[in-house]
Amino acid sequence: MLKLAWKYMRYYKSQTLAIFLSILLTASLLSGMSSLIYSSQKSDLENSRNIYGDWHYYVEADQESYEMIQSGVQGDGFHLRQCGRMEIRDVVSEEFPIYFIRTDEAYRSMAHRDLLEGTFPKKENEIAADGYVLSNLGFSGNPGDSVQIGERYFVVTGILKSEWAASASEMEIFVSDAFAGRGSQTFLYLKFDEDMKLYKQLDAFLRAYKLNSQSVVGNEEVIRYLGGEEPDSIYDIVKFGLTNERGNFTYIVLKLQSDYNLAYYGMILFLCLFSVFVVYSVFNISVAKRTSEYGILQTLGISEKQIGGTLVLELWMLFIIGYPSGCFLGNGILSLVYQKFNGVFGGKGIGATGQELSVADQTFAEGPGAVPFCFSWDAMIFGFVFLLTALAAAAFVVVRSLRKQSLKEVMSGDTSFIRKRKIYARRPVNLAGVVVWKFMFANKRKVIGILLSLSIGGCIFLCTTYMVENLKIHAELSLKSDDGLGSEYRISLKSDSLSDTIPEEVADKIKNMPETEHVYPTRYTLGELTHIESTDYENYCETYFDEMNRSSEFKKYGGICILQEDGTYRIKYDVYGYDEELMEQLGDFILEGKIDPVEIKNGNQVIVVANMDGQGNYYFYGKKPGDTITLRVPKTDNYTDELLKFQSGDEFYMEKEFQIAAIVSRSLAREQDFLNTGAWSQVQMPSVIMTNRQMEENFSLTDYSFINASPNPDTEAENVSNQILQAIRDVPGAVLADYSTAIRTQKNYLRQQQIFFSSIAGILFVISLFHIVNSMNHTVFARRREYGVIRAMGITDLGFYKMILQTGILYGALTDVLIFLVYHLLLRRVMNYYMEHVLQFLHVQTGVPDRVLLGIMMLNVVIAATAVLFPARKLVRENIISEIRA
Amino acid sequence: MSILELQHVEKIYGEKENQVHALRDVSLQVEEGEFAAIVGTSGSGKSTLLNLIGGLDNPTKGKVLVKSREIGSLSRKELTIFRRRNIGFVFQNYSLMPVLNVYDNVALPVTFDRGKHRNHKYIEELLRELGIWEKRKKYPNELSGGQQQRVAIARALVNKPHVLLCDEPTGNLDSATTIEVMGLLKASCRKYKQTILMVTHNEAIAQTCDRVIHIEDGRIVTGNRRFPAKGGDDVC
Repeated sequence: MLKLAWKYMRYYKSQTLAIFLSILLTASLLSGMSSLIYSSQKSDLENSRNIYGDWHYYVEADQESYEMIQSGVQGDGFHLRQCGRMEIRDVVSEEFPIYFIRTDEAYRSMAHRDLLEGTFPKKENEIAADGYVLSNLGFSGNPGDSVQIGERYFVVTGILKSEWAASASEMEIFVSDAFAGRGSQTFLYLKFDEDMKLYKQLDAFLRAYKLNSQSVVGNEEVIRYLGGEEPDSIYDIVKFGLTNERGNFTYIVLKLQSDYNLAYYGMILFLCLFSVFVVYSVFNISVAKRTSEYGILQTLGISEKQIGGTLVLELWMLFIIGYPSGCFLGNGILSLVYQKFNGVFGGKGIGATGQELSVADQTFAEGPGAVPFCFSWDAMIFGFVFLLTALAAAAFVVVRSLRKQSLKEVMSGDTSFIRKRKIYARRPVNLAGVVVWKFMFANKRKVIGILLSLSIGGCIFLCTTYMVENLKIHAELSLKSDDGLGSEYRISLKSDSLSDTIPEEVADKIKNMPETEHVYPTRYTLGELTHIESTDYENYCETYFDEMNRSSEFKKYGGICILQEDGTYRIKYDVYGYDEELMEQLGDFILEGKIDPVEIKNGNQVIVVANMDGQGNYYFYGKKPGDTITLRVPKTDNYTDELLKFQSGDEFYMEKEFQIAAIVSRSLAREQDFLNTGAWSQVQMPSVIMTNRQMEENFSLTDYSFINASPNPDTEAENVSNQILQAIRDVPGAVLADYSTAIRTQKNYLRQQQIFFSSIAGILFVISLFHIVNSMNHTVFARRREYGVIRAMGITDLGFYKMILQTGILYGALTDVLIFLVYHLLLRRVMNYYMEHVLQFLHVQTGVPDRVLLGIMMLNVVIAATAVLFPARKLVRENIISEIRA
Repeated sequence: MSILELQHVEKIYGEKENQVHALRDVSLQVEEGEFAAIVGTSGSGKSTLLNLIGGLDNPTKGKVLVKSREIGSLSRKELTIFRRRNIGFVFQNYSLMPVLNVYDNVALPVTFDRGKHRNHKYIEELLRELGIWEKRKKYPNELSGGQQQRVAIARALVNKPHVLLCDEPTGNLDSATTIEVMGLLKASCRKYKQTILMVTHNEAIAQTCDRVIHIEDGRIVTGNRRFPAKGGDDVC
């Protein structure tokens, strides 16, 4: 059998080459893409480590445990690789909360708080801090200079690497052991062995040291890549999704993603199936050309099993050479792509150096480059076993189809075209065209198979383009909205009291600076939405909100969602006054209604931000534009922070009714304290937005809480931040955050991401083109004899080319129709669902540009038409007699 | 007047040590209206000879003249059109289009001549003559071998060619159908004043023709021989 397989391979060189190429290309795609995704996830993990710290959990510990537990300790079921100690010695909260912390080297290394300049403090009056903290404390000197914090003066001995923006809400001052604070709270930062299950190690660790599991906090952004929590079983996930009233398909997808990395393993499976499809299809075509020879072999006494064995050996021989070569090729090319587009795999888009940054900016833009390209051995081994098995199955299917085919032919022949008893020649039609049409539809199943395989590349390309287009919009909107990076500069207050504000004149001063433009000062108050009757919310209130109400973050506001005696709810809301220009920009986020700042101002209407559930569905307590909401806010006269609990007498609050003008999915400028802390801020942004004028008229608020500004393009970054810092110097608690580099990096990341995804779509399209050419080639050669007869009957070469061209164009056009229908009726809907509910894109609304759609369709026709011309040319050059006898 | 003439024709297939001399110095003349049989053993070169005359293949050396035109001097397009209008082919395996019915199969060569009038009356006459008018809407695989060969003959005759080249037209048929088909060819030869060249390895069938050309190892080995036709009809 081996000899026979080898002989066949050598005799049918072009077909062998086609199968080999299909294996090589699909293996390179499978291995390369898997390694790429694996590397990008590794890179995401490394970025998360960099941003959120290289630790898994922290736990509050008593003094004894704090002293006793060391790095490297091993116990029954755990291996503690690293243990960092952090002790809060004091907290000063005069302007903004400042934590005086004593740390060991392990902690600093885990939190990436390396020393950039100077030394660590040794004496009681010595401190070290990062650029962000120091600049906002008004320090602009060098190590050795002093700074005032509260009543005391300290010598700055060192400048540290800053924290990432997302966690820079707490100002940390590093002190020495000699620093005597007013208290002591000790924390252990834990990093376990990542080769073992983290959650099991944590349990064992807590048991061993008798620590309270309630005081454990996980580094969620890091441990989610490492299985930091025990996953539910797949059976339970699917069962819950299908049987529980709160479960659905989206739940299953999201849960599988979070617990089992569905995106990665799903992609591997998809690529394996795509590979099998392409290889099988090419192989099938190749075998179809030698069907008769297998028939002859059978008559000579060879069994079907032996034919199957020959086919399997042939495929496996090619696979054994093609697969490793493909892996080598795919990993090689994509590792180069990976290096070229390393921003795409930086995950959070960090990676800028600190050289060109202003002091404040340095805080937010530091970070290492992406991790080196990693091979996904899992995918390569899985792919090898999967494809090896699938190819054997393919050979089996081919043998089975050979058997069925011969039986059918014996019984009745191919009679599928004998439907119409119409004489075409009696009409003025081109009989060659009729022949083309009939050849195509002689076997409908076959033609549908060919059309499907021809359309797959186009469909993948369109889906990817559709996603890239929406990703672009989503990224732009995210960047604009407050969960991203809307403006380069943000002046805010490190305070959780409404009495601290930025005076109107300071805002005007910044507005009038020649160095700035698009300055949007925002007024803010904390309010309560009353008389909420929505039933949707009750389920959450009973479970989720009960927990939230009890949390320390929201206790000071009297809870977040409170059930009233009359059965309605009161829910805490951020109330914003926007600049009219900024309000207009909310138009991109509209879910319902319309935004006209003048109309809103004159009609005293409001815009509300909808709540989004974990599956990308938006809702606002069943209310629509035109409905009203009642807002209750503390009065400014006799204001105390106690009023924020909303439990004082009614005389301290004012209650007003507003009509909803529009419901939007995001706010643009957003307070970063008050309600927007912890996990709550990541899932909801309960906001009511009106104009600044309305805030003044309704609630007598004239000062601002924060200001967003962009630099004048002609001004140097350093100059802008210095000017702004100068302007806010006298505002207590005011700090400046500079996002310029982070925005630039983010935009660059986005651009690279688009190029990358488009390139991947392009590669898939090229593979499918290879497949189209092969299929078309087969389509023409399968009718070689008939074409020979037609040529013998006297069709000219030009007429013959035209006839064959018709076949190609017809296939191309039908493929276009199929792509159009499948894309619009099925794929687009699936993609919408995926983007809205799984990826949770903001406003999935952009389609594939018409020129791309049209381009793909035209390209399909051109490729199919060109693809048939090659075999046609070959046929024309061949002897008619040998064609007729074929 | 000779309608076909071959002058010192040679045909070599393959190259160097793999060369095969299919025809060696073949010279031949066929008169208009003649029904000639080319007889020889398998591999003797008879089909090659027929293909060269039909312009389906090119000679390595020598000239092939049909209606006094040397077909080797024609361009591909000219040759195709010349062949379509002047030469009809009948193959052993019928070579019908499986996706077209009888009528469309017969009409197919006419449609290649764009703008040419499709003479449906003539097609009907042909089909009636050949006894397959009733089968005009049937597809080839619904017909018997003999019926399929009649369709192939009708298709070969539809353009009213001067020369009909038949490559073992009865090779796949039983003896009764063979006699029928031979009768039809002869009748056609007589009626349309056509020259027929028929390749066969069956000496008995060949003897029913006006002339038998024997070919062996690529050479014509005998001259003109006339035999009386079997059956009632005279040869044309």
